[in-house]
Amino acid sequence: MNQAEVSQLVSKLRIRINPRHKNLKCPEGPQGRLNKLRKTVNALFKYERLELNYTLADETRGYAERLISEAIRHGDTHKPTMEMADYWIEEKQLIHKLFKVLVPRFNDYQTSYTMLYRAPKAYPEIVYPRSVLELRGNPFPAILPQRSDQRNFIHNVLLDEAKKAYRAEKYEEITKSLEEQRDE
Amino acid sequence: MLLKTLNFHRFKCGFAPVLRASRLFSNSPPSDVQQPSDESISGKQVKPERKSVVPSNSRFIYPEFLPDPKIEWRNSLREKLERMDMIQRRKHIDIPEFYVGSIMAVSSSNQHAPNKATRFVGICIQRLGCGLRANFTLRNVIKHVGTEMKYQLYDPTIQKIEVLRLEKRLDDELLYLRDAPNEYSTFDENMEVEYLPEGAPVPVNPEMVKLKPRPWRARWERKNMKGLADLGLEDRFYERAEELATPWEKYDLMKQYRKTIPEEEQKEIFAEVYSELHEVEVMRKKLKRKKVFIKPTKNV
Repeated sequence: MNQAEVSQLVSKLRIRINPRHKNLKCPEGPQGRLNKLRKTVNALFKYERLELNYTLADETRGYAERLISEAIRHGDTHKPTMEMADYWIEEKQLIHKLFKVLVPRFNDYQTSYTMLYRAPKAYPEIVYPRSVLELRGNPFPAILPQRSDQRNFIHNVLLDEAKKAYRAEKYEEITKSLEEQRDE
Repeated sequence: MLLKTLNFHRFKCGFAPVLRASRLFSNSPPSDVQQPSDESISGKQVKPERKSVVPSNSRFIYPEFLPDPKIEWRNSLREKLERMDMIQRRKHIDIPEFYVGSIMAVSSSNQHAPNKATRFVGICIQRLGCGLRANFTLRNVIKHVGTEMKYQLYDPTIQKIEVLRLEKRLDDELLYLRDAPNEYSTFDENMEVEYLPEGAPVPVNPEMVKLKPRPWRARWERKNMKGLADLGLEDRFYERAEELATPWEKYDLMKQYRKTIPEEEQKEIFAEVYSELHEVEVMRKKLKRKKVFIKPTKNV
């Protein structure tokens, strides 16, 4: 049994955490792994939506979430957080984006800050599972179709019925007026 | 283009269904809109008054109440049951606040001892485990032999745990005392309890340890210990240590996350156990005061 490390407090992430990290193919070892992830984290903050291999996307997601949660937790005046952002974000103008754009955007979120979708494989060329990783609240059109027309919601059913009734009433009025015209 | 036309499976449902007729049903006057906001503001005002009474340093005083962070081994029910058992045990014997580096005395049952109990005094060099398996190791030099005793914190054979000198050292583990000369881990068995003023922070003892020459039980030059004086090794040892160093590990955010318990969970756990722990603590303080009161009468 291990004891939890208590030297620093972290915020709870609202994503599923794998019990163990996933190995990425990198001959340079753990340092190379972080370098690889650094590129994708940086790209995620830059483009807000990426198409990646599933393993890499899943790993990147955790690091991006942690970085945003640290930024929200400590703000831009906290030196260790700034060091962390400096390490993870290679294009330094994106550090400004993290603290001035993403932190205000995600400050009141009760959900995760990123979304991970499974993307289709382009059979037979690509055999690895693909996925799309994006920051929430990005400016692009939604990946999933907006399910705005829910026909079976009770108010929608009632509204449909009301519409039918209204139309029936109108038809009756029209027929009445037509009959009156005919009578005249 | 490709992405739009093909189907995606969503991992987590994030958004609430948008209502087609929402506008028709939410035709409420603006005054109605203000009322809930007023309520929410008053609710926010109430919250800081009801500030949680759990002190923020609970995680240092009771680290064994936090579960093992290894996700495969988490089990909320088992953790809760263990916490209940731990509190029950704490009601029977006084388990004081202590840290690695504190000097402690433990009396435990021993059927071979003449009065069926032994008392061991020593410096706490390691604190491991969580839940009912939490344990600590005491070290002392007895008759010129370095002696270590590992005690389970919630072991029913333990009769009494005393903290003779409450202090911290520079490191979280003092295993290097095994490779240090005996005077660093020699403590008097008849040491008296040193009381700290109430509410004072736990002092940190900045003692630097000078190790004996190699061979050692571990390659201490590679461990980045703060409490070790100059090791006096050849350059090749330090070069090798530098080669094997992992300076990127402090940036591995997920590795850190997997080793700790997030703050929200910690709050939940301590909110659950704190009232009972506090009662136990108050009882302990009363007993302590009684002891202090008795002392002068003994001298007379």
